[in-house]
Amino acid sequence: MKKKLLSTMLVAAMMTTLLAGCGNEPVNGGQESSSAPEQSSAQQSESTNAPEQSSEPASEGNESAGGEDVTLKWAIWDQETTAYWNDLKEAYESSHQGVTIEMVDLGSSDYMTVLATELSGDGSDFDVVTIKDVPGYATLVQKNSILALDDYISADGVDLSKYAGATDQVVVDGKLYELPFRNDFWVLFYNKDLFDAKQVAYPTNDMTFAEYDALARQMTDTTFGSQVYGAHYHTWRSAVQLFGVLDGQHTILDGEYSFFEPYYEMILNQEADGVCRKYADLKTEGLHYSAAFSGGDVAMLNMGSWFIATMITNLQTGEYDSSLCGNWGIVKYPHAEGVEAGSTLGTITGLAVTSATDTPDAAWEFVKWVSGEEGAAVMASSGNFPAIMTEEAMSLITGLEGFPADEASKEALNVSNLYLEVPYAPNVSEINSVLDSYHGSIMAGEMSIQDGIEAMNTEVSKILAQ
Amino acid sequence: MPKMDSAQKAAKINSLQEELTALIASVRAETDIKKKRKLISKIGDYNRKIDTMKSGRLLSRETKRDLVAYSFIAPNFIGFCVFTLIPIIFAFALAFMKWDGSNPIQWQGIGNFTRLTDDIFFRAALKNTVIYCLGTVPLTMIASLALAIVLNQKVIGRGIFRTLSFFPYVASLVAITAVWKMLFHPSKGPINSILYNVFHMPQENLPQWFTGGLALLSMILFSVWKYMGYYMVIYLAGLQGISGELYEAAGLDGANTWQKFRYVTWPQLSSTTFFVVVMLTINCFKVYDIAIMLAGGGSGELTTSATVLVYYIYQKAFIDWDLGYSSAVAMVLFVMVLVVTVIQFWGQARKERA
Repeated sequence: MKKKLLSTMLVAAMMTTLLAGCGNEPVNGGQESSSAPEQSSAQQSESTNAPEQSSEPASEGNESAGGEDVTLKWAIWDQETTAYWNDLKEAYESSHQGVTIEMVDLGSSDYMTVLATELSGDGSDFDVVTIKDVPGYATLVQKNSILALDDYISADGVDLSKYAGATDQVVVDGKLYELPFRNDFWVLFYNKDLFDAKQVAYPTNDMTFAEYDALARQMTDTTFGSQVYGAHYHTWRSAVQLFGVLDGQHTILDGEYSFFEPYYEMILNQEADGVCRKYADLKTEGLHYSAAFSGGDVAMLNMGSWFIATMITNLQTGEYDSSLCGNWGIVKYPHAEGVEAGSTLGTITGLAVTSATDTPDAAWEFVKWVSGEEGAAVMASSGNFPAIMTEEAMSLITGLEGFPADEASKEALNVSNLYLEVPYAPNVSEINSVLDSYHGSIMAGEMSIQDGIEAMNTEVSKILAQ
Repeated sequence: MPKMDSAQKAAKINSLQEELTALIASVRAETDIKKKRKLISKIGDYNRKIDTMKSGRLLSRETKRDLVAYSFIAPNFIGFCVFTLIPIIFAFALAFMKWDGSNPIQWQGIGNFTRLTDDIFFRAALKNTVIYCLGTVPLTMIASLALAIVLNQKVIGRGIFRTLSFFPYVASLVAITAVWKMLFHPSKGPINSILYNVFHMPQENLPQWFTGGLALLSMILFSVWKYMGYYMVIYLAGLQGISGELYEAAGLDGANTWQKFRYVTWPQLSSTTFFVVVMLTINCFKVYDIAIMLAGGGSGELTTSATVLVYYIYQKAFIDWDLGYSSAVAMVLFVMVLVVTVIQFWGQARKERA
């Protein structure tokens, strides 16, 4: 019965495709991939007409599953150490009868590589996949492994403005292939005990880079045995280079990168003066930023908001010594002269529906739920930042036990402008590799800042010209 | 096989027998050796046919024997085909295509290879791989030969020293790279602190062992240390295969130690050396793990000063999903290894003929 219905709809969908003409489709292989969303739109428009259509997400979920039991296979990472996967699964299963979520842990370090391999060819049986970063997202879109969600979004009336512009930066040829459920942004963590000991005023929510640099230098103590580092930069490219994109006038896709120069200069000078640990040392010993900050000799650390949840839990379990780093706070990112305070970098984590799934509607329901308000509440309850930042979610996070009590730390969570670390572009994966490589060369002193930036310019323009 | 009655069968056998006799006669008459051989193998065919007829079995004894033999090879060979041979052939084809693993494959012609010529990362990887090989192969060979000669003498504690020099080869790569990284740590490592405290090298000039040009040097030193034990064992076996009489004869002729080495040991070891050099070269071109572990830092990303061909193949294939281009790089690696190996085989064959 179900099969018959499906085949009827498939025929209908194919007819629509034919009638609509294949005007804007890629020359080859596009047919198959683009017919899938069409099909779903046909189904959706049917269900919009149905009288049962109501605002209750629970009944909707059941309806699209055809009243039968559905199992959704969901790709995630670090199931053991990350609490929210299970929270989301349980909350969804309890509100949606007959839906089972089966989580598959692909590991965190090379998650997107493994996922892309899993989704290659026809053998995949994932229904919903988590998108960890934009280069990986670009790969999956180009491989036609995930579905465009626009028809679903318009059919269900999902309001994209709630995502505060984050979704606009991952639009591919006018189509959106993922919905974010988690939105992390970078803030400045600082160790209040160190500032108290030096009797220096805490960093504020409105600092220019010059003020920040001066403060870091003021906090630095190079005396052997009682060293204090004013700042700490993790080995990621984002932690250094992307100070440059905060003015909103540049992105990493520009192909012209001289705007990185002042920030490389600032940090390499700090390195030379012992204000921060050396990049080459960090690379050699593989020191994790959490180990650096919890060691109690780092005054300020720029890091993503995911570190807030880590700090809270690890201080509670006693893994971090609270006499070293227990008294911490956060402030907004420093900003360039003339730029609004609160401009910062962001990283979204999203969900996408695979093109190989047999139950795209049920998968979409899940994606919509997790990325929507209900999912946001679940995320916030464990100290994570949902993509939809509601007042309620905000107060859940700031009200968590262990969250810094001062007003400045609460205020620091108000973001004025969010720039994605990596916005979408067709070649973003290759551009990313090039920038990463030369970032390493500049920071390790293999190349001068000018030579490194020059090399970035040539290599990225070559990719852009392709 | 269709059933035949016995009369038909007998007639068939008879006719075959007659053909066979005629054939044998023609073989006797034939003078050309090549043709004769062909005819003789035909006689075998006839004999087999007649045997099958007579016994009435579906499979002759020979076929059965062959099948048994093939079935023994099969498990290995099927695995080899599915997981090695077919992918290799596919990679050859892919080098001329454009493919991302999902979308349809597109013909690219030699486009992938022309792209190689102005790819800075490829050129850096190629250069680093070649330098690494040029450094590692001779140094490892010399070190392992020297060790083998020393440890072939009757020195005290020979067993212990042999074990010690073999140890790095057995130890886990990840564990020993961690130790090396501590030893060579740019600001806290004992090596640099000796340079600073004993040799009074100024702090800003202390070598950064895992970045810049020194990254390759560290990799070379590391591989020599790690692999010399293994090749030492091979050389020891070679040394013990040299007859003592040769040394005795050389001694009687008044040869000194160097001359004994030059005119007895070295020529006698030539086939061992050949094996060692071939294995070393192939292994060096394949270097990947050492580069990642020593110079990759936490993220496993290599800069242009430490990138190697295999890493670049991996990066292009599984991070950028440019499978065609990455296959083209793999072909370059293949050709390089092939050329080096063919030259060595050729040299060895010429030496043996001489």
